[in-house]
Amino acid sequence: MDEYQTTEETSFIVEEVSTIIKESVEGVIGGNAYQHSRVNQWTNNVVEQCLSQLSKLGKPFKYIVTCVIMQKNGAGLQTASSCFWDNSTDGTCTVRWENKSMYCIVSVFGLAI
Amino acid sequence: MEEYHHGSEGSFNPEEADNIVKECIDNIIGGVDYSQSLVNKWTASIVELSLTQLVKQGKPYKYIVSCAVMQKSGAGLHTANSCYWDTAVDGSCTVRWENRTMYCVVSVFAVAIA
Repeated sequence: MDEYQTTEETSFIVEEVSTIIKESVEGVIGGNAYQHSRVNQWTNNVVEQCLSQLSKLGKPFKYIVTCVIMQKNGAGLQTASSCFWDNSTDGTCTVRWENKSMYCIVSVFGLAI
Repeated sequence: MEEYHHGSEGSFNPEEADNIVKECIDNIIGGVDYSQSLVNKWTASIVELSLTQLVKQGKPYKYIVSCAVMQKSGAGLHTANSCYWDTAVDGSCTVRWENRTMYCVVSVFAVAIA
């Protein structure tokens, strides 16, 4: 007799992760202006929040969360990422957020165990 | 009889990854100035080249390579990473590079295949 595990419980769901990221970013820096003295703490808090929410999902995944915060002053920023993994089980989600004084880019990579 | 698994052949070596990435960056944006029209191609080439070189090592790992290139204009940039994995076998390495007109930050994450 087969043990049936629904794919929802074991796959990387982009919308779910996207919501987690948006909530974490809003919670940490929503409504704040760029401050050099606090940005260190903010990036740490954003990744920690995301990671704890992700691990609470209880799925068999390893996670990598990266966060970039950049002050808005006209500079150009370009980011790219490339992954060597199993396309059928692994996934990624990137959220770009901004307010009047800064940009925040968060990427989550989920790799199935 | 025990099978002894030689650690360095099968584990993630951050210095090696560091060297691989530095070479890739130097090859692609070594002597050039920041260019809005070319930066797209540069970031894509850096991640692809780094990934190819890492995979060539033949280790039992999945890799994620991410690269950010930023123009030097006085703006503040801050990045952070957090990883939920097996600290015994997985690893990461981040390379910060700069020239006169731009910064380049490349992160490599290596996750062991069970």
